[in-house]
Amino acid sequence: MSAIPSPLFNCRQATLLIERRADTPLPVRPRVQLWAHLRLCPYCRRYALQSARIARAARPAAEAVVPANLALPAVARARMQQLFDAHAGSGG
Amino acid sequence: MSLPILPTPAPDPQQWLARFGDELYRFALGRVADADTAAELVQDTFVSALGALASFRGQASERTWLFVILKRKIIDHYRREARSPFVPLDLSPEHAPEAEFFRPADGHWREEQHPADWPGPSHDEGRGDLALEQQEFQNILRLCQQRLSAQQLAVFVLRFVEELPAEDICKELSLSPANYWVLVHRAKLHLRRCLEKNWLQAPVIA
Repeated sequence: MSAIPSPLFNCRQATLLIERRADTPLPVRPRVQLWAHLRLCPYCRRYALQSARIARAARPAAEAVVPANLALPAVARARMQQLFDAHAGSGG
Repeated sequence: MSLPILPTPAPDPQQWLARFGDELYRFALGRVADADTAAELVQDTFVSALGALASFRGQASERTWLFVILKRKIIDHYRREARSPFVPLDLSPEHAPEAEFFRPADGHWREEQHPADWPGPSHDEGRGDLALEQQEFQNILRLCQQRLSAQQLAVFVLRFVEELPAEDICKELSLSPANYWVLVHRAKLHLRRCLEKNWLQAPVIA
């Protein structure tokens, strides 16, 4: 694995590692440096909270923005009905 | 008394459109940008399902089976989107999009990009508009997603909406882990800023 640049004094690296640690545990050294960075940097602390909030909201947002009674548009439905009619007609 | 062995119910494709069409469409519409694409994905799902009827064994319900196929179609959709147009990732700090947010010299946040403090749910106790605020947040998040690059959107939706493991996304989109994290990082940077501009600074409904 390639060397991970130090996030100690670098917000760009720190925020990248915040994303990375959500998927996989960080090696000890970057983990300690990120911890130290977050102690010192209020902006990256906010970033960490907000990034996690966006991640949590993504799926509920996908479900919630579509009205529960929304139906397939008529044109698309008619097109699909033809598909099923053809399938039934072919005997298959 | 011995129980009769029930025959596996045969799938009934003539009922699919009426029984599952709207539900599949709503599911797809939450995950892609527009109605036409969502309808196309549902149609592709039916085409594939009709072609694979012989492989339907009745262990899962028809509904579950159709949703499995639709989810596969959604992944394929994002795989196509992420590949065209192919934009090579520029990882050099001077030219990378991150330079918009961080000073290339030392990697600190640019002053005008400093993340602001967001009101959390705990700030809203007793105000009674939590659900409304949540809905507002979700709507703006969806709008902000549409401004991401194709690659960023593909990674974001597959990871946080479809909740695929990072490893699978790397495989589907032919990304190295390092490039995958760069894309997640860029997507989050853009979404965070877009939400801050459009949600936080929106007039509060009194």
